[in-house]
Amino acid sequence: METVFSQYAWLVPVFPLAAFLILLAFGRGMKRTGPVIATLGSLASLVLSALVLIEQLGGADEYNNGFDWIQIGGYTLTVGFDVTNLTALMMVVVSLVAFLVNVYSIGYMKDDERISVFFAYVALFTCSMLGLVIADNLLMLYIFWELVGLCSFLLIGFWYYKPEAKAAAKKAFIVTRVGDVGFLIALLLLFWYMPDHDLSFAAIANVFGQTGLITEGITTLIAILIFLGAVGKSGQFPLHVWLPDAMEGPTPISALIHAATMVAAGVFLVARTFPIFEASPAALDTVAWVGAFTAIFAASIAIAQDDIKRILAYSTVSQLGYMMMALGLGSVTAAMFHLFTHAFFKALLFLGAGSVIHAVHTQNIHEMGGLGKTMKTTAWTFAVGALALAGIPPLSGFWSKDAILAEALHDHPALFAIGIAAALLTALYMSRLFFLVFAGKPRKGASGHESPAVMTVPLVVLALLAVVAGFVEMPFEGTGWFGEWLTGHAAAHEGTALVMLVSTAVGLLGIYLGWLIYVKGAIPRDAVTKRMPWLTRLLERKYYIDEIYHAVFVVSLRAIGRAFDAFDRHVVGGAVRLAGGAAVWTGRAATRMQNGQLQSYGLYAVIGLVILAAAIAGRRFW
Amino acid sequence: MLSSYLTMAAILFCIGLYGALTKRNAVIVLMSVELMLNSVNLNLVAFSKYGVVPSLTGQIFSLFTISVAAAEVAVGVAILIALFRSRGSANVDEFNEMRR
Amino acid sequence: MGGFYIDWSGELVAFFAFAVVMIVGAVLMLTLTKVVHMVASLAAVFLGLGGMFVVLEAEFVAFTQVLLYAGAVTILLIFGIMMTDHQAVQREPVRPAHEIVSAVASIVLFGILFYAIRTTEFAPSAPPLQAGVDNAMEIGKQLYTQHVIPFELVSVLLTVAFIGAIVIAKKEAE
Repeated sequence: METVFSQYAWLVPVFPLAAFLILLAFGRGMKRTGPVIATLGSLASLVLSALVLIEQLGGADEYNNGFDWIQIGGYTLTVGFDVTNLTALMMVVVSLVAFLVNVYSIGYMKDDERISVFFAYVALFTCSMLGLVIADNLLMLYIFWELVGLCSFLLIGFWYYKPEAKAAAKKAFIVTRVGDVGFLIALLLLFWYMPDHDLSFAAIANVFGQTGLITEGITTLIAILIFLGAVGKSGQFPLHVWLPDAMEGPTPISALIHAATMVAAGVFLVARTFPIFEASPAALDTVAWVGAFTAIFAASIAIAQDDIKRILAYSTVSQLGYMMMALGLGSVTAAMFHLFTHAFFKALLFLGAGSVIHAVHTQNIHEMGGLGKTMKTTAWTFAVGALALAGIPPLSGFWSKDAILAEALHDHPALFAIGIAAALLTALYMSRLFFLVFAGKPRKGASGHESPAVMTVPLVVLALLAVVAGFVEMPFEGTGWFGEWLTGHAAAHEGTALVMLVSTAVGLLGIYLGWLIYVKGAIPRDAVTKRMPWLTRLLERKYYIDEIYHAVFVVSLRAIGRAFDAFDRHVVGGAVRLAGGAAVWTGRAATRMQNGQLQSYGLYAVIGLVILAAAIAGRRFW
Repeated sequence: MLSSYLTMAAILFCIGLYGALTKRNAVIVLMSVELMLNSVNLNLVAFSKYGVVPSLTGQIFSLFTISVAAAEVAVGVAILIALFRSRGSANVDEFNEMRR
Repeated sequence: MGGFYIDWSGELVAFFAFAVVMIVGAVLMLTLTKVVHMVASLAAVFLGLGGMFVVLEAEFVAFTQVLLYAGAVTILLIFGIMMTDHQAVQREPVRPAHEIVSAVASIVLFGILFYAIRTTEFAPSAPPLQAGVDNAMEIGKQLYTQHVIPFELVSVLLTVAFIGAIVIAKKEAE
């Protein structure tokens, strides 16, 4: 089938880019219309990407186009875009969530002085993320990868006058940089080993699809390094520390960047370069175990946090761990399916949290309560999101999580056990969050009011998507087309009945426990805290990872920095000052020669004469 | 023989140079300058007799230098007297207006 | 006496005698304390130089030297001393660095000149001038024919100089 819209897919990032440029130039005076322009830009890209997706769903061919950008020696750097099923899907996810966040932010950021700057940054981010998604070679993806990181930095530190925001932005950038170094080295290795230095994904799939072209050792190394980049961007252990701190940014961007899109870039990268991973079982194992560990690690921290956004941040880390686990088990389908559904319900949860924060002006869940009575829409949509996250059927999260767990049970039962345990914790912390915020008696002073329509309509849209998005891939006969369409493999179909039962039971158990503790009070809230205070403290302090990093890296690097600074100031600066001082000293000494005494001047003349005469008379010696 | 005369002139010249650079009284500086001029005259006359092209030109030249030196001493002493009247001192290190 | 490869002749003896006089006079000029004594030793130098001119068979120049230098210039310097600083005693100078460097420079200059004189080959073939015969007349002949213009200019110079000296040195009009 011919492609009508796919050839214009390159326009999809251009609309938000245009919005960015307009806002950059004229934003200061356009506090009312600026946001509208940005939203229109993202709407345009949403419409176009939806058209492309529909075309691709109809079975259109893949499309690729590009041009040569730079020629260095024998190597040509091309810039191009790929329209495949995977990229079309991602485009729609990114632009849809971006559009909804734009609409939401019109209400949320209404009173902010720098609202145009905010929308400009969001537009730039949208452009970068869309560019990342449709990039057709790894170098171009890397460029957009870095751009996305930059936008994240700008937006986390948007309220730059808050020192915590500044610190969080720096932390995010530096920690993801650590991962990006791995990505860059992998890029260089690929450049070295790929024939013709071709870094396009088609070439990668080609080369790594044939065995023996590149040795397994190198393949594993490249895969692990790419995964390192994904670990940084997607907040996996040990580079997860920046994501909770990134909650210092405004809540809409927590929803957009740190829930739905940018953090999914890591998963997307692994999916795009999956042929490399498929060629190296060791790398796949690493990915799976790191993902699984992160899932349960982050979930355990989440149940001890008090900040509503931090709970959701750790939840994101945990769910990304699930996606990585799915990739490590070899199923791109399951991972992308979960990414797809997670984008919707996590964005929903964050925007709902933003609505709550907007109403009660606090982020501590212990200061909230009973908001279900006053904020009905928020409460209902939040409940839908929470249930989806906990994996309760028939919501979308149930189907996607089950796809992952079924793969795990099939290949690595140990990973299945970890996944189930993490699911229990997930249900527990979400129910704790929900009951503490929305149930119970309202506290005085924090009664809250419902948010304006511009904020609640996106919530409703996302809630609807959170409900129906899962039906695209159900493990029953004849109902799963998503997997086939996306990657050619359906998600696992065997053993799914057991998985469905166990996961549902675990989810309901978690919710029940939460209800018992926080609503009924049958189990006292400090049951664990009283008996094992060390455990509570450990979880609350996030296993002291931040403190460990500070002691190991920050302190030593700062000491090195101070040493270099001292060297610079005293040795290098001292040398410079010495040179200057020598010139001044010479000048002062020379000034004493001009004392107005005739005989001094005469003496200098005689000395000159002597030197000259000696030079001429001594000619025979040289 | 010529080199003896030349050496003699060199000795006188250097003694005069030292005096011109070192003495504080302006008249003594003038005297040292006269000594230097005299050594030049000795050189000229020695070359006129023993030089490469012996001729009377050396002696005539020295006559001229003697005349000019005499004129110079006259004017120099006159200037010194005028300076002494305005300054009250004849020490060269107090005449340091040429400092800047 | 004949030793040290020195070819003793009358000229050499006379030269040495006058040389001693001149050098002693020059050194005394620098080292004496009373200014008038310094002028006297300078006059001795001038006289010695006159003698040396005679040895060099330049009688007219010797005569002029004695007349002008040992006579006029010395008197002029004495007048200068009497009209400026007749404390008669030179104070000790207080600039040792300057003195030492000047002394070193002078000695080094002398060294260079001595070295140059010693190593230069003056043409030995040219016979010395026989200038003693009718020295004054020969000088007069040359002075008024070949060098008449410089002669006239020097006379102008002298006129200007003495008028200028009078103008500079006379007291301000009351």
